Amino acid sequence: MASTNPPTEYITLVSSDDYSFVIRRSAACISPAIKRMLDPANGFIESQTNTCRLDNINGLVLEKVCEYLYYNEKHKDAKDVADMDLPMELVLELLMAADYLNGMFCI
Amino acid sequence: MANRPPRQGLNGNDVDFDTTWQILERAFLEIHTKNASQLSFEELYRNAYKIVLKKKGDALYNKVAEFEHRWLGDTIRVRIVKLLSAPFLFNDDIGRTLATSAERRAGGEGVLKALKQAWEDHQVCMSMLTDVLMYMDRVYCTDHRQPSIFAKSMGLFRDQILRTPVRQGEDNLITILTRIILDQIAMDRDGEAIDRYLIKSNVYMLEGLYESEQEVEDEKLYLREFEESFLQKSAQFYREEGERLLKESDAGTYCHHAKRRIDEESDRCRSTLSESTAPKIQRVVEDELIRNKMKGLIEMDSGVLYMVDNDKFNELHLVFDLEARVDPRKPELTKALQQIIADMGAKINEAAVATSQAPPQAAPAPEDGEGDKSKGKQDKQINQQTQAALKWVADILDLKDRFDKIWEISFGRDQTIQTALTRSMSENINSFGRSSEYISLFIDDHMKKGIRDKTDQEVDAILEKAIVLLRYLQDKDYFETYYKKHLCKRLLLKKSQSTDVEKQMIARMKMELGNSFTLKLEAMFKDISLSEDLTRGYREHVAGLGDADRKRVDLTVSVLTSMTWPLEAFRSANEDDGETRAQIIFPPALDLVRQGFERYYSEKHSGRKLTWQTSMGEVDIKALFKNKSGQMRIHEVSCSTYAALILLLFNDRQPDDQLSLEEIEAQTNIPMQSLKRTLQALAVAPKTRFLSKEPMSRDVNPGDKFSLNDDYLPKTVKIKVGVVSAGNKVEGDRERKETEKRNNDSRGFVIEAAVVRLMKTRKELAHAQLLNETISVLSSRFKPDVNMIKKRIESLIEREYLERMEDAPVPSYKYVA
Repeated sequence: MASTNPPTEYITLVSSDDYSFVIRRSAACISPAIKRMLDPANGFIESQTNTCRLDNINGLVLEKVCEYLYYNEKHKDAKDVADMDLPMELVLELLMAADYLNGMFCI
Repeated sequence: MANRPPRQGLNGNDVDFDTTWQILERAFLEIHTKNASQLSFEELYRNAYKIVLKKKGDALYNKVAEFEHRWLGDTIRVRIVKLLSAPFLFNDDIGRTLATSAERRAGGEGVLKALKQAWEDHQVCMSMLTDVLMYMDRVYCTDHRQPSIFAKSMGLFRDQILRTPVRQGEDNLITILTRIILDQIAMDRDGEAIDRYLIKSNVYMLEGLYESEQEVEDEKLYLREFEESFLQKSAQFYREEGERLLKESDAGTYCHHAKRRIDEESDRCRSTLSESTAPKIQRVVEDELIRNKMKGLIEMDSGVLYMVDNDKFNELHLVFDLEARVDPRKPELTKALQQIIADMGAKINEAAVATSQAPPQAAPAPEDGEGDKSKGKQDKQINQQTQAALKWVADILDLKDRFDKIWEISFGRDQTIQTALTRSMSENINSFGRSSEYISLFIDDHMKKGIRDKTDQEVDAILEKAIVLLRYLQDKDYFETYYKKHLCKRLLLKKSQSTDVEKQMIARMKMELGNSFTLKLEAMFKDISLSEDLTRGYREHVAGLGDADRKRVDLTVSVLTSMTWPLEAFRSANEDDGETRAQIIFPPALDLVRQGFERYYSEKHSGRKLTWQTSMGEVDIKALFKNKSGQMRIHEVSCSTYAALILLLFNDRQPDDQLSLEEIEAQTNIPMQSLKRTLQALAVAPKTRFLSKEPMSRDVNPGDKFSLNDDYLPKTVKIKVGVVSAGNKVEGDRERKETEKRNNDSRGFVIEAAVVRLMKTRKELAHAQLLNETISVLSSRFKPDVNMIKKRIESLIEREYLERMEDAPVPSYKYVA
């Protein structure tokens, strides 16, 4: 059982097909859903293990999501940022993932 | 996996609501029992997400609500209700008698703690649930305009915990909670220690709950359920406490107490209740302890009168401070102060009237005891009157100083109070008929003796005091009349100590009352200095004539402009108008001098007429007297011109020669009344009995005969014959009436002049407006009587200065050019 350690700098996102993505906490927390998941105040298991298992997002899509989270964080203060390049075949799944992760409609 | 159709997540028939809800429900129970650490947020979130995605959002929402309803109602409320002991279930009057305050406090704290715990737990759990159900809130609640699940659950807490009767037919928890808090506050007010933080936590709860799920700001339960009772209860508490204190303690203590209570209540709001209540409870305390009690407080035996009497500056400040809180105009305090000043002023005025009217023999002992300098019995009554005047002025000044001090120390130089004090002082002074005269006498007294041995600063202070009184005076024209009269005597009889100070006084009056007021006074000074030049000039002129006649009589003159000097002040009491015209017969030696001066004067100023005011003259005579051993001694006799004329009649006569009163009158032409008085001084007064009278009696009667008194032995080289009307004294009733009549006459002219001036510029004016403007124009000099103005207008119409306008809607006048 993981200890209730202080928030780490990096956290892990796990896809439904068991791909792990270690990304910066600040980037992950751009999604309100992930942010709440990791909130130590609530004390759910995710906040203790610093790992979020997202059971309805597969690795392909989660990779793009992580890419977007970094992209978003990198440009959060910039203006006139060009849209991120998205493969057409993933667009619908990405849209659903965004809805699920709450509020990432800025693709 | 990449080619798994995305659609699967969308239709997903595999989602079974009941199973999913069971997972959630189990998890929620864990959360409520503080066992969340093994739960996966993601799993719960995903399940809720799925249900909402399946359009089952409303079912989920209702299930959650139902879950909370059950949890709060069955678990939490039961837990709290168990803690309620008997006292809290009844209305406080019954409840309070059932237990000691310590029991009640402990029991109350138990309930408060349980409620606080329940509320805090509920907050935490609901915030976790809200996070898990975020997707439902965002999608279902927003789309279906439902309150968020958090708001909903807060409403459930309100209804299930606070609003449900604890048992069938009994009060609900919020009523009991209010009762407990009020009870604890009552203990706090009585000085018992309570757990403020605990109450504050419960207040937070009430502030966090609203009447409806819309969470309207002014529908907080705190405002709706608690505050009103708190304010009512406090009002009742302070009403009773105020009444009790008024009965039991003195005003000073009351003020201290009230101030402390006000501070306490605002502290209480900060530490125990809500800041938002502070202004409201403040108002309640102010109403109950101050506004409704101020009158009673001020009228207490130990109230404002007592404080003023005993110089309780601190207490007065408190009273002032308290009333200033409830009303910036401080009506009760102002009223009380005005009443006190009016009473004190009335006492001073009465005392002055009493002293001045008391028969002279009634008062001599205390008068002498006070170090009164009066010598000679005839002065006594005069002095008594003057003393009354001086005492009045001193008392009024004392009164003013006293309240000025209070005003400075206790009332923080408050503007409103100052205005009220000034008005009261002014009323005091103006309600006293003789104030103008007395103030002038006060100045007169200081000019004659008061300023001796005083530094400039002290003199300054006295002058300032006089000006202060003058400022209050309404009828400044009266004052001018008296001042002129008194100044006139000071100047002519050379009683003034210092011309400089006199001039300073005039300068001050000029600043205070304006140029026109002092014009005539300044003219009097000018006349005096011109007269000095004239006298010197005449002496040189006489010396220049060459014959140094040693017997020639030396002359000092005062040439006075007749319009400026109030010469009637010297005459009116003694003579009738008819008699003044009679020419006094001078003996040749004097007549020569008189004619000589008249010639000299008319050479310098042609066209001026000199009238000799013999009654005001003074003469120095050198006379030979035999002393006991038969030697002849020269004595200097200083006496009035009349006395000199009479004595000169006896100059060439033998000791046995007698002259009757009528003979003397015929030979001198001195008016009878003055003659009698002068003869009294010469033949009756023991120290200056130059003449003997037959028969020997105090009064001089027709037919009395006078002869030289050979036995008269003067004790000093210089002899002063009691000079009639030497000092300035208070007027007698007859004199006053005359002064008033004269003053009224001159007021009449002043009013007419003002009316004509106004009408000349305005051409047409309504009656009321004319009255108002006339009064305002004249206000710097005196307060005109409306009837007098009306009469004057009538008279002006008769004399065709004005005419009534026939067609005007309101009565109006028109100026006739």
